[in-house]
Amino acid sequence: MGTNMKRRVAALVAFGAMLLASPALAHHSRAMFDQTKQITLAGTVKEFQWTNPHCWIQVLVPDPEHPEAAPVEWGVEMGAPVELMRKGWKPGSLNPGDKVTIVINPLRDGQPGGLVVSVTGPDGKIIGHPALPGSRAP
Amino acid sequence: MKVRGALIALFVLFGCVSFTSGQNLNSKARVETFAKLPDWSGMWEPDIFVGQADGQQFSQEALQKMKARAEALRPSFTPEYQAKYEQIRKSIEAAIAADPLHPPATHQPLCGSPPFPATFTPGMFEWRVTPEETTFISTVGAVRHVYTDGRSHPPKDLLWPTLMGDSIGHWEGDTLVVDTIATKRRIYMGELTGFFVPMSDQLRFTERIRMVNHDAIQIDYTVEDPIALTKPIHAVFTQTRVTDFDRMLEEADCEENERDPVVNGRFTTVTH
Repeated sequence: MGTNMKRRVAALVAFGAMLLASPALAHHSRAMFDQTKQITLAGTVKEFQWTNPHCWIQVLVPDPEHPEAAPVEWGVEMGAPVELMRKGWKPGSLNPGDKVTIVINPLRDGQPGGLVVSVTGPDGKIIGHPALPGSRAP
Repeated sequence: MKVRGALIALFVLFGCVSFTSGQNLNSKARVETFAKLPDWSGMWEPDIFVGQADGQQFSQEALQKMKARAEALRPSFTPEYQAKYEQIRKSIEAAIAADPLHPPATHQPLCGSPPFPATFTPGMFEWRVTPEETTFISTVGAVRHVYTDGRSHPPKDLLWPTLMGDSIGHWEGDTLVVDTIATKRRIYMGELTGFFVPMSDQLRFTERIRMVNHDAIQIDYTVEDPIALTKPIHAVFTQTRVTDFDRMLEEADCEENERDPVVNGRFTTVTH
């Protein structure tokens, strides 16, 4: 088993340990996301899906190096509405056209998607409660 | 006139029956029993979620608790069941190695009621304590009925494995002692992508549940299976009072917008 493979298996072990105990993704494993990585998306909200079992943000992200190209649509996953409400989110926290900056753990398979770590809204503030001391959040 | 008379007689009859039932439900003895039971009203959640940052990340304290509990929950299998466990684990390792980018779905996404021990699943909970039954309800769809009216488990020929099994309980002071059998005969292993290991038909769970202070309910949890385990599994879980939310909301409706389906035995994500 190569080093990369060992790392991946080790990461999966960690995610497996959290399964059935995770409030953010209570309904399935997090193993499809690479939680050792974070990337930042700067774009425009196409749609905010306030839905069970999870909320999603569809965001159009232009490529800064190719501004003439069509933006890429990313689908980023969050917790269930009840979980987000407890963190200060509301169904109208995001609207189509909002300029946002989203930090995510990307999908392992390279698709334009990921698990939301934080969302900064049009006013430049992080939406929802800020990270607490001692947490792993940025 | 005769018909009307008959109808009136029926109404009177049903009224008496209803009134009689009502008397039983509110009898002095029942009210007195109810008054002696602990008040577990409110909403609760596993203590590992306290201090969670933004709905996605666990606190360092929570991660340490999870690690300690995972150790406490580690089973000591008999040779026969150790072999079963290793066989399952190896098959999952092989599936991960075959396609690390698409982890194998070792069980379906949790939609509908999570299996017992649902008391430790994510979400928020309510406990309904009555003289006859304590009911556990969670936002992820779990409902457990713990009968405390003195009944026994059903006879063997009327028992089969179900998600919650059959739970009966009794009160020892302010501690609810729960005995659960006839579950799905498996235990969950938090390894790799997470998976279940089959157990024998002698699998039995004992919980001693008590409110240790106004803001904490503690569950002393023991798993026994003399066929599959060389010694019981024992762990202590704590539920913490929820103070920033005041109602139950459904969160297990996967028909609404499920975008992480299991395809060919692997988790997938629909990004558009």
